[in-house]
Amino acid sequence: MTTGTARVPRTPGNKGGGGPAPVPPGPGAPPQAAARGRIRPVRRHLPASPWLFLAPGLLIVGGFSLYPFLSTVVNSFTDARTLIAGQYVGGANYQELIHDAMFWTGLRNSLLYVLGVVPLLVILPLLLALLVQGRIPGITFFRAAFYTPVVASVVVVGLIWVWLLDDRGLINAVLEAVGFGKVGFLSDPWLLLFSAMAVTVWKGLGYYMIIYLAALANVPRELHEACAVDGAGALRRFWTVTVPAVRSTMVLVAALSSVGAFKVFSEVYLMAGPTGGPGGEDTTLVMLVQQVGTGLNGRVGYASALSVVVFVITLGLMLLVLRANRKEDA
Amino acid sequence: MSATAEQERRAAPDGGGRVRRRRSGRRTPVWQWVLRYLLLLAVLALTVGPFLWQLSTSLKGAGEDIYRYPPSLVPHEATLDNYAGVAKIIPVWDFALNSLKVAVANVLTNCLGAALAGYALARMRFRGRKAALVVFLMAMLVPVESIMIAQFVTMRELQLNNTLIGVLLPACIGAMNVLLMRNAFAALPYEVEEAAFVDGANAWQRFLRIALPSVKGTLAVVAIFAFMGAWDDFLWPLIVLSDQSKFTLTIGLNFLHGTFANNQRLVAAGTVIAVLPLIVLFACLQRFFFRGVGEGAVKG
Amino acid sequence: MRISRRAAASAAVLVTSALALTACGASGDSGASDSATGKVEGRVTFQTWNLKANFKDYFEGLIADFEKKYPDAKVNWVDQPAEGYPEKLSADAAGGTLPDVVNVSPDLAYPLAKAGVALDLHKAAGKYQDEYLAGAWKSYEMPGMAGVYAFPWYLNTGPMFYNKALFTKAGLDPRKPPTTYGKLFADALTMAKKSDGKITMLASTPSIEDFGRYGVRLMNAQGTAFTFNEPKGVELLRHYRELYAAGALDSQALTAMAESSGRKFQQQSVAMNPGSALDLGNFKKEAPSLYKNIGITDTVNNTGKANMYVQGLMVNAQSKVKPAAVAFAHFVTDRKNQMDFAKRVTIFPSTKGSLDDPYFTKEDGTDATRVRIASAKSLGSAVNYTPVLLSDQMKTVLRNAVAKAVQGKESPKAALDGAVNECNRLLTTGAGAR
Repeated sequence: MTTGTARVPRTPGNKGGGGPAPVPPGPGAPPQAAARGRIRPVRRHLPASPWLFLAPGLLIVGGFSLYPFLSTVVNSFTDARTLIAGQYVGGANYQELIHDAMFWTGLRNSLLYVLGVVPLLVILPLLLALLVQGRIPGITFFRAAFYTPVVASVVVVGLIWVWLLDDRGLINAVLEAVGFGKVGFLSDPWLLLFSAMAVTVWKGLGYYMIIYLAALANVPRELHEACAVDGAGALRRFWTVTVPAVRSTMVLVAALSSVGAFKVFSEVYLMAGPTGGPGGEDTTLVMLVQQVGTGLNGRVGYASALSVVVFVITLGLMLLVLRANRKEDA
Repeated sequence: MSATAEQERRAAPDGGGRVRRRRSGRRTPVWQWVLRYLLLLAVLALTVGPFLWQLSTSLKGAGEDIYRYPPSLVPHEATLDNYAGVAKIIPVWDFALNSLKVAVANVLTNCLGAALAGYALARMRFRGRKAALVVFLMAMLVPVESIMIAQFVTMRELQLNNTLIGVLLPACIGAMNVLLMRNAFAALPYEVEEAAFVDGANAWQRFLRIALPSVKGTLAVVAIFAFMGAWDDFLWPLIVLSDQSKFTLTIGLNFLHGTFANNQRLVAAGTVIAVLPLIVLFACLQRFFFRGVGEGAVKG
Repeated sequence: MRISRRAAASAAVLVTSALALTACGASGDSGASDSATGKVEGRVTFQTWNLKANFKDYFEGLIADFEKKYPDAKVNWVDQPAEGYPEKLSADAAGGTLPDVVNVSPDLAYPLAKAGVALDLHKAAGKYQDEYLAGAWKSYEMPGMAGVYAFPWYLNTGPMFYNKALFTKAGLDPRKPPTTYGKLFADALTMAKKSDGKITMLASTPSIEDFGRYGVRLMNAQGTAFTFNEPKGVELLRHYRELYAAGALDSQALTAMAESSGRKFQQQSVAMNPGSALDLGNFKKEAPSLYKNIGITDTVNNTGKANMYVQGLMVNAQSKVKPAAVAFAHFVTDRKNQMDFAKRVTIFPSTKGSLDDPYFTKEDGTDATRVRIASAKSLGSAVNYTPVLLSDQMKTVLRNAVAKAVQGKESPKAALDGAVNECNRLLTTGAGAR
């Protein structure tokens, strides 16, 4: 309701609201009817209320993220360096980018990373969340333990995995013992990229697990009850109850993880080295931004252009995920 | 609070009772239990192994070869000397206190700010809602690294450089947290709120008394992410702060990487010091994620 | 030196709002007096790079002495951690909050000098020039600019560590480690053959210092263009390519960093690794089983000149207490105080005559002293091979080119030509060229 007459009582469910009756879905209700992630705004409030609610968030986010990003956009049209103000050079940085072989390598690797990592990070943490759900002896310990990779510092994690995957590391020792022969996890450019993906998935499991756990907490237990009464098996219950119930969360996780995967830096940096693997073949786009723009000699102009490209692509990815969601919904 | 309690009471009689009945009625086959624990143990080995390695290194005394091959996980002469060593080099407690101040403030601002904004985006209808959503989406995508110096210059203009508030401010309401909260509010059955509205509750009251208590799980997630973000941040506090008395723990621990030689044991001890509070926090907050499914007959 | 490598490894992307910088730089200027002569008074902020943890007592004593000598001056000492140092300097320079006296290496001093935030000490304190080793003083002369932009402070040079047991196993004489590149390559091939590729001589591909020590001319005489693609450079790369093909380089050499090569040496799968005199104590603590087998020799070298790492103290050109800042920077780097510092940790003073001190010339039978004396001796003729103009970006370009050549994806000549072209382009494009 956009007028100021928000105080007029209305019968719930008649005009603006729509939807089912205001009772929790009973055992007989079809599972799909509940917990759909669609937005149903309540319209009863003063016109200024939403803006008062939004003000702190918009202020912080606008003042400390978006506004400074404008200067990045401006810089992308200059030849600025870290300590030296630049001059307007038009689209020269963007032109250079198109002819920069490293840019294309970085773009390829970042996109591959999204393709490799996102499906796993949407499915595996959900399964993990289901695994640690419920009260069985010792489960509290397992939950906390599964979260440790998230809180362990990425540098430590990198060191440990490098040590495990080394030519003379534990994993290769095992592979050799079973007659499989050595695998150059850390010397072959492709294996390096896959190894880094594995670490990203490993470190992300606990993170997305807790997002799923919070969402699962909202799944009305009655739904499962109803299903179980119908004699549905675990697998069917997963597809007919759990998945629809956490669908909006899956979309969120897909969006977050694809943005995260596209902007991957630390894992590749730590495993393939600061220059991105043999001859730079594993460089990702954000690593390139770092290489180009970092330090006192940084080419701020060119790095800004790269940052803008990263921003635009992640925006595209996000919209793609949200769009796919809407289509399925329709 | 009362409205929620009511809601829960309404749901309880049939729901809660039925669960108990079923649990006693049907027993899970033994092989399922075994399989489940095997899976749990397998994941456990995968997730905590590296952390144990760090713990073990931090407990190894001088004279124990930490580069030995094959490596040994159990320290031969376990010692807490390395932890004392860390405390000798840097004022760990002062730094930890600074980190704690920033992290706790970050949790409060994020929980409140993100919940407010998320509620407006999910539960209110107004012109510009989409635009506001897009603002948060875009803010989430801004590469932080590219704006750090511009942020620093802003802080200086606000005369907040070299203060803990300056450390806190840029991330005190995270765009991602806003989106998480929006998602959580959107998933709530809105009929309860309608009912509260009929009872004469205004938007603020509905938010505070009905909506907020129903999204405790997501609030816990936001709290953990906010705490973690503030606790782990390195580069931004480093740039904002100049006086050692204001340094946070991550900056402090970085002093353990010696200029002339690295003592891996000290670094490992420092890492453990930094990570433990996060694990404890998670262990404390995790029960909120299981609100409602605690008794669940749900199985994966 | 480890420390600059770590700084380069800092996981940060830093892109400046350079526009904001000019605004702030200009406003900061007005309050500062131009002259460095005047009464030594006021509050000097002094920034070191990761020295507080281990040398707190030394610096506190130093500051107390200075404040006693100049009662009107006070020193506020801040220390920065290992990582993120260039980023911190960038932000401070941009925000106008740079301390008065700053610990910098030549590659950090160059962009700061170029941006006009480093005081020309040749002008302001030229009278002290004769107190320092000529080579050290020279390392803060910046190409294309008149003047000197920091007082040279402590020096370091790396000996080469090798594993005697691994040498013996490969049938090499553990008493005669290679000292020239020719011998190094021959020994590396022998070792690879004998150990079936399990043990390798080297853990990494050549760095710019290797090119320098091999005798490759890195830049032209005017310092305006890179020249490391000259035949000698190509020859060096051809050798490394041969080593890689024969399994005489560690299989992960192409992605190796200082830390990972160090680890491989400590795990005893690599036989030779450059280090500094300080590593010895480290080996003793961290890897006792390696320590028993350790051998120490001069860095492999074709030019007879060792590589030298320099740290210095820069004075902020916008400082409001310039006379005191210059006086303090000189005080810290004077002969007596550098000598005191050198006795606490194995670094080498950059002041004239210091290296003739018995501390650096007289054996006492311990390994540590032997390394110290050998290093001090090599410093007499040492040079800082790394050109200050070679930015981190250019180092990456070189490294990638080397990797491609070593793997055989490109010929050494083509790879180096490409790298030189790219580095020269980076040298002349953008604001850096003006």
